[in-house]
Amino acid sequence: MSVASAAKQRLAAVDAMPEPERLGLILATLEDEAPTVREQAIRYAARYLEPARLVHLVANHERALLRNSAIAALERQGPYAVAPLVDVLTGSADAELAMFTLQVLTRIGDPSSAGAVLPFVRHEDLNVAQAAIEALGAFRAADAVPHLLALMAGNLWLQLAAVNALGEIGDARATGPLLALVPDSLVAIPAIQALARLPASAVAEPLAQLLCDLREPASREAVLIALADVIARDPAQVSLAPALAVVDGASDEPTLTRMLSEATRAGTTSPAARRSAALLAAAVPMPALWPAALLALHELGDTTVVPALLQAQRRRLRAQVDTCLLHQNPLVRAILLEHAAPDAVTSVRLMQALQDVDTGVRTAACRALASRHCGEAVPRLVELLKTGSDAERDAAASALAHLESDTLAPLAACLVASAEPELIIQALGVLEQTGGQPQIERVIELAAHASPSVRRAALRVLAGLPDRRVDPVLLKALGDVHPAVPAEALEMLVQRGGDRALNSLIGLLSLADSLRFRVIRALGRLRVARAATKLESLYPSCALHEQLEIIGALVLIGGPGVRAFLHARFAEPELEARRAAARGLAALAGTGDLPQLRTMAEDRDWNVRNEAARGLARLPLDDTRPLLLTLARDIESVVSATAREALGGTSARERTAQA
Amino acid sequence: MTLALEAEWKLLTDLIEERFGLSFTGVRRDILASRLASRFQALQCGNPLEYYYHLKSHPERDRELGQLALTLTNNETYFFRESHHFECVARHVLPAIQDELRVRPLRILSAGCSSGEEPYSLVMSLQASGLDALLPHGWEVDACDLNPARLAQARAATYEETSLRSCDADARRRYFTQEGSRFVLRERHRAGVRFFACNLAAPVMPLGSGRYDVILCRNMLIYFGEAAFLTLIERFARALVPGGLLMLGHSESIIDRTPSFQAVVLNGMVVYRRCVPD
Repeated sequence: MSVASAAKQRLAAVDAMPEPERLGLILATLEDEAPTVREQAIRYAARYLEPARLVHLVANHERALLRNSAIAALERQGPYAVAPLVDVLTGSADAELAMFTLQVLTRIGDPSSAGAVLPFVRHEDLNVAQAAIEALGAFRAADAVPHLLALMAGNLWLQLAAVNALGEIGDARATGPLLALVPDSLVAIPAIQALARLPASAVAEPLAQLLCDLREPASREAVLIALADVIARDPAQVSLAPALAVVDGASDEPTLTRMLSEATRAGTTSPAARRSAALLAAAVPMPALWPAALLALHELGDTTVVPALLQAQRRRLRAQVDTCLLHQNPLVRAILLEHAAPDAVTSVRLMQALQDVDTGVRTAACRALASRHCGEAVPRLVELLKTGSDAERDAAASALAHLESDTLAPLAACLVASAEPELIIQALGVLEQTGGQPQIERVIELAAHASPSVRRAALRVLAGLPDRRVDPVLLKALGDVHPAVPAEALEMLVQRGGDRALNSLIGLLSLADSLRFRVIRALGRLRVARAATKLESLYPSCALHEQLEIIGALVLIGGPGVRAFLHARFAEPELEARRAAARGLAALAGTGDLPQLRTMAEDRDWNVRNEAARGLARLPLDDTRPLLLTLARDIESVVSATAREALGGTSARERTAQA
Repeated sequence: MTLALEAEWKLLTDLIEERFGLSFTGVRRDILASRLASRFQALQCGNPLEYYYHLKSHPERDRELGQLALTLTNNETYFFRESHHFECVARHVLPAIQDELRVRPLRILSAGCSSGEEPYSLVMSLQASGLDALLPHGWEVDACDLNPARLAQARAATYEETSLRSCDADARRRYFTQEGSRFVLRERHRAGVRFFACNLAAPVMPLGSGRYDVILCRNMLIYFGEAAFLTLIERFARALVPGGLLMLGHSESIIDRTPSFQAVVLNGMVVYRRCVPD
């Protein structure tokens, strides 16, 4: 066995060690030469060493490895360490310790420490001041904005840190001071990048003006990217009108057009600048630029923003639609058809596009028709469903699925047993979403089709119909020879609910077959209270997989006896039963369950401790904070994260209550 | 992802690491989710917890664990991938142990052999080396994998075009016969290769002790969790003859992670020599 493995094995047994030996082992392994050992030691240090002790290690400037491990452990302690760290920050004269403390607070990211950090932006040690500025940026501390603005004229490094922090905070008050740094300061580019993070209403117009004014290529590209980021953040809501007016009225519009046109082409600039140029070109009132811009965004895989861009341009697009839809590149036509607003590209035009020579354009038209509820398109869409490419068939099915069921009579041609199973399944998929009542006889016939996939698709349609002929078909499907069909039929009976289905389900509990665990699960999801007694009495004679379902089902059903049942399960030796019980106890936790949650919080199993944290999140913070702070230091990350979320969540509730 | 869901995934990834040694933490969690989508659908599991219950407690859990192994290890490979290792065996290993090879065959293990491209490439390289005189007793290439479907394909020695992506026209002609769109490895290049199913992370692994001159385990350790990784390295050490070589993929390293091996440079690349006990 390697030395590292031996150290890790000893650490794994640390929980059972007496205090002095435990601390000694953790402290020794915090400096182990193997990174994997150190990583494990850090997890235990976070769990077992108090923040004050860890801070003491951070203050040891002679042993860098130990200090770095202690810093990592403090970060892992998260909220548990915040108050002690603030105490150190305000009480120590050690500048290096103050810097490390600020960095740890930054990474913990708890904004409650912003007030204590604020005075340090004027610290005489520049490293400390810089760390404080970065912390305030990470906390998004709006109160710090005036203090950060005051640093704009000072030391360059602090100025740079302040610029970045102002960008992170995103407060509009920083707009003017940041603009003043462009283009003739050493921090011009960071200032532009910070501007991109401020509210669009404040910066869109000045950035557009800068784009026209600047000549220096690096600054100009930075502004281009910044403006595009502002547009991309929310194209529909950005008040670009004033900004576009600036561009419209720019004296050097040909220069701007040429620049955007060139930057949009592949290979002429960086991908980031190309994307930005394309975004801007699609946003400015220059229709000649739109095709290249849309193609560039498509090539860059960035089409999610296109609908919002075209929405913002819909008035101009409506005027230009004939020209645009005749574009020689079918991809341009497809993008416009798929993403343009309905008042720019009408349903009539989409219908015409279903005849386009290009399959991609026809597919795009199908996709767009999906949101138009255009009944006239049904015959052509059904034709594409039968004869189109895979993409066309999918798009046609999607479009048909958005229409009213009484307009879908032509779909009957696809619902015959002799058709290709794939076609039948797609047609049934349409009916599943639209409701297939007009075609119910055909669908019932297809529920007996030779293909199990068709049978399942037919059952899915039937499950959504309020027709008394459906339940017998679903109950019959419980005996289907293909194992997936009964399981799905059961799910559907659950979805349908109703006394008849519920009685059938409770009846199925008596059959100890392969379906029973699904029946138990279904009864739980339906919260069938009258099944609780039967489920509980069934528990001792069941196999483990059914027992776990019973625990889950009884938790969902609730009822007065469930806590006692869960306590009994938690006392079982079977780990999975204990975990399932813990899950239930957490889900049902009330104030009276605190002793049980405390026991769970000390359990050896991480999953049980995690459930304890979830349960504690349901209780008032005053009662649970110490336990949650302990769990927030748990060696398992997911437990620690759950506890931190519980601390944050309860803090938020408290803040709301105070407000 | 909610923390409740993250806890469910942890149950599942812990189980997978315990059973197969494979680690799916961090960004690899998404890969796992993508690979398991078909299993979730087939068993109608709505979340990781339901699938975890199936694997832990369902009467048909053993069958599903087999399916899971197939799903997790369905990794593609191709002939003559990182072929410098094969050259290294011919140029450096054979001359170094020629005295021993007068009385016994050369023994090599291909660990995680997938559909057989690696062990067969090794045989083809040995045959092409012209060093038959150094191998009077021939060779034994043992090749193991967790995935029975992949092993069946390896035994059938029939491949798609994609497995031959590094083979030029001459190599294709020399080593394969074409049947439609598929390529069948000629019988003589399968000589001395034995395939067997093996879970390298299982509590007991039938690799024996001091058996192999070389172990190839390439581009597989990166999928193992820390504990399984260290266990496996020690198993490889036991399975090698003293001074035997372990060859890993170019992105893998065991430098400073075990005292059982010493890194050495052969043929311009790092390989790991089993330390000789004092």
